[in-house]
Amino acid sequence: MIKITLAGVNHKTAPVDIRERIAYPKEHLAPAVRTLAHEETVLECLLLSTCNRVEILTITSNIHPAPDFFTEFLSRTHPSLNGVSLRPHLYYKTDTEAVEHLFQVTASLDSMVVGEPQITGQVKESFEICRKESSVGPYLNQIFQRAVSAAKRVRSETAISHLPVSISYAACQLARKIFQEMSNKSVLLLGGGEMAQLTARHMKKMGVRSLILMTRDPSRGEPLAAEYEATYAPMSRLEEFLAEADMVVCSTGAETYLLTVPIMESAMERRGFQPLFLIDIAVPRNIDPEISKLSNTFLYNIDDLRSVVSSNQKEREMETFAAREIVRQEVSQFEKWRAERSTVPLIQSLRQHTEALRLSEIERFSRTLDALPEESRKQVILLTQSLMNKMLHPTYQTLRGSSNVDEAWEWITRCYGLPPDIVRATGSETDKESQGKSVLDSPLSDLPLPGEQPC
Amino acid sequence: MSCSLTQFSPEGTTWLSGGHFSQSLGKKRQNRVSVTISPLELLLLEMASGFYLGAFILYLSEILLSRPPRIPWAPVTAGVGGVLFQSLAIFIRFGFQGHVALLSLREVLSFFSWSLVLTFLYLEHQKKVRILGLFIFGIAFFSTLMVIGISFRTPVLSTGEPIGLLLSIHTLLIDLGLASAALSFMVSLLYLLLDQFLRRKIFNRFFSRIPSLETLDQLNNNFSGIGFVFLTAGLFFAMIWSWEKFGRTIPFASQGRLAFIGAIIVWLLYATSVLVRWNRRFRGKQAAYLSISGFLVFAATMLVLLFFSKGSHFIL
Repeated sequence: MIKITLAGVNHKTAPVDIRERIAYPKEHLAPAVRTLAHEETVLECLLLSTCNRVEILTITSNIHPAPDFFTEFLSRTHPSLNGVSLRPHLYYKTDTEAVEHLFQVTASLDSMVVGEPQITGQVKESFEICRKESSVGPYLNQIFQRAVSAAKRVRSETAISHLPVSISYAACQLARKIFQEMSNKSVLLLGGGEMAQLTARHMKKMGVRSLILMTRDPSRGEPLAAEYEATYAPMSRLEEFLAEADMVVCSTGAETYLLTVPIMESAMERRGFQPLFLIDIAVPRNIDPEISKLSNTFLYNIDDLRSVVSSNQKEREMETFAAREIVRQEVSQFEKWRAERSTVPLIQSLRQHTEALRLSEIERFSRTLDALPEESRKQVILLTQSLMNKMLHPTYQTLRGSSNVDEAWEWITRCYGLPPDIVRATGSETDKESQGKSVLDSPLSDLPLPGEQPC
Repeated sequence: MSCSLTQFSPEGTTWLSGGHFSQSLGKKRQNRVSVTISPLELLLLEMASGFYLGAFILYLSEILLSRPPRIPWAPVTAGVGGVLFQSLAIFIRFGFQGHVALLSLREVLSFFSWSLVLTFLYLEHQKKVRILGLFIFGIAFFSTLMVIGISFRTPVLSTGEPIGLLLSIHTLLIDLGLASAALSFMVSLLYLLLDQFLRRKIFNRFFSRIPSLETLDQLNNNFSGIGFVFLTAGLFFAMIWSWEKFGRTIPFASQGRLAFIGAIIVWLLYATSVLVRWNRRFRGKQAAYLSISGFLVFAATMLVLLFFSKGSHFIL
């Protein structure tokens, strides 16, 4: 019987000084996968390493690897971890729990920022590395496909990824509520603070027409402008550029208001009262709050943006309930597939066993059968086949629908007198043989099953 | 302009549905014939209203559930179903009447909701302004429901007089103008609402569903412009018709005068709305206020006229 085991360390269980030592650099991931795949008990394995987590998922036959197996492996592949006890930071999950956890990770429900999109890509990358190292078989293949499908459903069926949770991104999303097209919009950046740079990066991604950067110090502003493909302009030309900009991001260290009501009134007049989005992320503020009373101007300061982010975070938390339900549905689909697949070797063994019995009985009556005309002999042999299929059909059906495969194995071996070792060996061998293939490619699936055989 | 009714010819068209719709309506109106709704038209209208209700519920659930719809095409499909049934109902009505003039509240409402839904479906295809669907299908549902209710309660009165092409064009254009004004009104309401949300920093589910201010302003501009064109053309045809029929373009009778004054106010409001856009100060909020007042006067004029006309075009 196939066992799925997951163990790992993440931002919830380990401090950053452990996480940074345990993370695999990209170039070390493939050799680590290779080492793990060569472990005797491991049939398939997946190694996921990001800045916030390192997780190992293994597929083994009959027995779950103990937690020590994982801590020992991690310590072995990270010499810097010598002397550090990983056990208190390690979480350990088996079978359905393990699958559910991986699905949640892929769907970004276990991330530090719930709903962030990078993790799905990181899981895909890790899977690709494992596939190249031949550590992926039918079970991991199925788990990966279902995990990606769950992540896609979570993104499309819930609003979890639609709500920005970073201040700079929230500012960009708000801009979309004012402007229809960003490709014909111009952004004026006052000051080159970190937040302004982040906003500039997002704005650039949104495809704004132009970025203009203004700083008091050209020696700082000009390299920054070059970095973001922006145009540099001195602060003295503020009023001139204000009339042309559609968005203004202000983050200077100025102690007074840079933009006052008279300046804005004049700018609005010159820009034909077209909407203007003002973002003041400077502390102390650089834009007079009275400006927000002017028609067609929309002013947001750092606190306003924080409140957007906080309300979005709450909404995301609400959405996780729906997302977890989607994950549960996908897990149950996987479990159904797994249960069906687990019964295939058993059905095969049972078929071989009963077929051998049938043939031996035909052999026993061969003299009598030989005395019959050819046509009648064929009919009798067909009758034995048909009878056997009809009698076994309910057993196969019960096996396929069985929720407890272990119990079913036990029951079948007792009822039909099958040697248990043979059955289990067949199962393990089959899984080893069919690595890298889908369940439909499995040699077992070529066997005619009761429902498919003509009676 | 005289508002006296022309003599009813006994051979005039009559549709009796179950007999109970056709009633004698007093001596003063004995020379009119009561025309009721056909059972097939009624059934089609009921189907259309059912589909509109379905579309309304689906759009509402999109807002309440706050997550992307599982079957995004479902509300639009329901809307298309409704508009098909209503198109058939309108077709039957026109065929039965023998002309395309919209002479009663029932006909005006039916054509109004039909043109609203049709415009929205086009808009949804082009701009994806899904939130408008909530209002449009709400209005369409109640309009068709009212049409059904009016059809049961008050039979339409007809003089039996042949309706000319000019009057037909006039009523159709005015109704299309009303539909454009209604769309402009709804878009303007959304604009003002979003403006308030952005100023007061309210970020609820409704906020996330409203398109950008720029989109709404552009739509308002388009609908106001289209409405203005329909209204101007509709009034132009009304004046030609009046000239042909009564020998004067400006009516003298009280109801006609009222209609004329209402129409001129609406026309002036829309003309202002279109013209002030040349002055760039009047965009966004100001334009939204103008569109809202324009539609309110338009709708009030129509309702007053339909009330005075008592079930038929006031001018007949």
